[in-house]
Amino acid sequence: MRQRHRKGYVQKHNLEDKPLKGSSQANTINIALAGNPNVGKSVIFNQLTGLSQTIGNWPGKTVERKEGQLEFLGFHFNIVDLPGIYSLSTYSLEEIVSREYIVSEEVDVIINVIDATNLERNLFFTFQLLELEVPVILAINQCDILDKRNRSIDFKRMEEIFKLPVIPCVAIHGKGVHQLLEEAIELSVYHHPHQHYLKKGKRMHEHLSHAHRTQELYTKEWTMHLRPKKSFQFPDLSSLLKFGKEVEGKIEYLISEISQFESYFSQFNYPGRFLAIKLLEDDNVVNSFFKKNESTRYLLNIAEDFRKELEEFHGEDIHTIISSEIYNKIHKIIRLVLISEKKEERKKSLSDKLDQITTHPFWGYVILILILVGTYFFTFEIGNLLGGYLEEVYGMWSVEIYGMYGADPLWVKLLWDGVVGGVFGAIGGVLVYVIPFFLIMEILQDSGYLPRAAFLLDKFMHFLGVHGKTIIPMILGFGCNVPACAGCRIMETRREKKISVALTSLIPCSAVLTVVMGLVGRFLGPIYVGLLFLINFVVIIIFGKVLNKTMPGKCTELIMEMHEYRAPNTKVILKQTWNRSKEFIFKAMPIIIILGIVLELLLMFNLLEPINLFLSPITFILGLPLICGIFLIYGIIRKELTLVLLQDLAQSLGMTLPMLLTPLQMFVFSLVTMLYIPCFATIIIIARETNWKYAIKIALLEVGVAIVIGALVYWGGTFLLSLL
Amino acid sequence: MIESILKNIQGKDQRGSSLIKCLTECEKDEIISVIKVDTGKKAKQRLSNLGIVPGAKLVKCRSAPLKGPLEVKIKGSSLVLGRGIASKIFVKCSEEQCQYI
Repeated sequence: MRQRHRKGYVQKHNLEDKPLKGSSQANTINIALAGNPNVGKSVIFNQLTGLSQTIGNWPGKTVERKEGQLEFLGFHFNIVDLPGIYSLSTYSLEEIVSREYIVSEEVDVIINVIDATNLERNLFFTFQLLELEVPVILAINQCDILDKRNRSIDFKRMEEIFKLPVIPCVAIHGKGVHQLLEEAIELSVYHHPHQHYLKKGKRMHEHLSHAHRTQELYTKEWTMHLRPKKSFQFPDLSSLLKFGKEVEGKIEYLISEISQFESYFSQFNYPGRFLAIKLLEDDNVVNSFFKKNESTRYLLNIAEDFRKELEEFHGEDIHTIISSEIYNKIHKIIRLVLISEKKEERKKSLSDKLDQITTHPFWGYVILILILVGTYFFTFEIGNLLGGYLEEVYGMWSVEIYGMYGADPLWVKLLWDGVVGGVFGAIGGVLVYVIPFFLIMEILQDSGYLPRAAFLLDKFMHFLGVHGKTIIPMILGFGCNVPACAGCRIMETRREKKISVALTSLIPCSAVLTVVMGLVGRFLGPIYVGLLFLINFVVIIIFGKVLNKTMPGKCTELIMEMHEYRAPNTKVILKQTWNRSKEFIFKAMPIIIILGIVLELLLMFNLLEPINLFLSPITFILGLPLICGIFLIYGIIRKELTLVLLQDLAQSLGMTLPMLLTPLQMFVFSLVTMLYIPCFATIIIIARETNWKYAIKIALLEVGVAIVIGALVYWGGTFLLSLL
Repeated sequence: MIESILKNIQGKDQRGSSLIKCLTECEKDEIISVIKVDTGKKAKQRLSNLGIVPGAKLVKCRSAPLKGPLEVKIKGSSLVLGRGIASKIFVKCSEEQCQYI
């Protein structure tokens, strides 16, 4: 069998031909993972590449495609994780980008990850993928959960229907994951799909890799056969993909017209049938292909006539007609392949119960508040404990060092106060808060709680001009604004994305939290912390209201999938927490340490004063001591620097924070730090998600708001205190 | 226009007009089938991609308080729909049980 296959292949292509691959290595196979959101693409990606792609139980965490590499059976694999999408239309930018990527030369094999528990909806995407006539492997994931529901899928039959490899997987346990790669090799070498389920006790097809697992010689020979996916012989699925008579007739006519311009359309990589369907559907991107060329323009009019005819005939919108047709076909397939072993008795599982209580009209909100408050308390208790301990250690060591060498020599100032003090400040002042916080955020993400919060708060968010989904990046923003603002990509329209990033950038992140807790929480008590947060949230609401009023357009409605809860996977959570913390340690810590040294140098050469003098109008309005000016500048880089460096300064001056700042000043200082500007990284992300003009506008607006509110609080507070 | 369509459908429906309602008016756990989606073009596209097309069976699960969004089960998954959209989806009671919900 194997021999025949190989021979059959060699006849078609001359072995002497150099591989036509665009990639640098001859034995490279490029794989793209595509599918609906939250079906386990990222899990498969991580299983394969060992990389730490963010996994979460909410749709949209893969905000841009991630790439990873691995070596397997002598082949080099390039794996790309595409964002989860429901369709290949033009609903969102992700859909357009994904479909262009899928047909491009950069990908050889597409793995369509399908959630076995949600076959019907997932197959809708598969049907769209099949229209693109690219080499597809169907990976049926979460088969174990389906088993638990006493259902199973007839994989053999499914393979017969789709004429493409169908592989059952349990990605979270790594089951079936490497078989996907073997299948990818097969597809790239043979250029046609094969079936490999047992038939009458005999294997239909034996894998190349099964027979020659380690024989590199064979691998080398096979790599000669790798060709771009254009040479892939897509199976004849016309009977499967055919629409109803009315629609199909029109599409066939369009296909025959399009085929006249094959040489022109070949540059877009899309097959004729796909172009015909999308032309009929009035797809902007495909329309533009037709508009570009003088001679194909007439097809736009024909398609429009067809569309009107169909819409009139069915009394429905064209998208609805085509989707209905596809869903009808899927429904028939499901009947064939999905086997219910016995009538399912849906007992209320723990997940259902949790679902019920967390979306309860009363308890749902109580739980939401408890989660948010609990997160802060947990973070703060742990952070305080560890931070206090570290501070003690540093204090003890400082005494010893000063005792031995004195506090004045240059090297003591630079190395001890600057470097070691900086490290201790960064760990004790920031890291101890950041790690527990990330841990909770990961648990929240992985369990699937976030969409519930979106469900509960949708109404409230409409008040701010966005729909409930915004709450997901906003909650993540409590951890760090940077990934949270990037996560605003899940918003559907530009307008909502703009409002979302602005609101998310105002969420007090863990860095702000450390400043607030370390200053106000430590010296003034929790009531004032609450007051600060209250002011912050009022500002967010006002901001949202104003943006909603001033930005043209209207708020769209929420359409969101809500996934079942799942038990957080300890390994995944710990790994992700570590990854995030690692990022912080290696990116933020060096900055903190270097700036700590710079601060020492500035202090030594009395260079702080000119800078502070320059900023004095602002510090004066805010009622802060002159010396704070420089820290507000540093805070733009990372917000926790304001406090960490202030502490450093106090130490260098031999003072404590309460000696440096009055309670009111502490409050104002924290408030300003909270509001005044998104940190540098956040501004960059906002600019990337929207544009620079908008990012700068938001940043300046926030600075203005912070100064106004800070001044109001200071002068108002001073006035009130004088009355007492 | 929608009125005329609804009238048309109601005419065919022997059981009278009271059966047709919008999604927001449905009872909890009621099995219903979609008759007409009357939202804007973009939302219609997304809804049809997610399986909310005429004839689709779904179950209304719960709705958020204070006229918040509501959750429906369709094709084995849960969808949350804003109230505005839900009020533009017209449905009727479905007698036949749908085994894939």
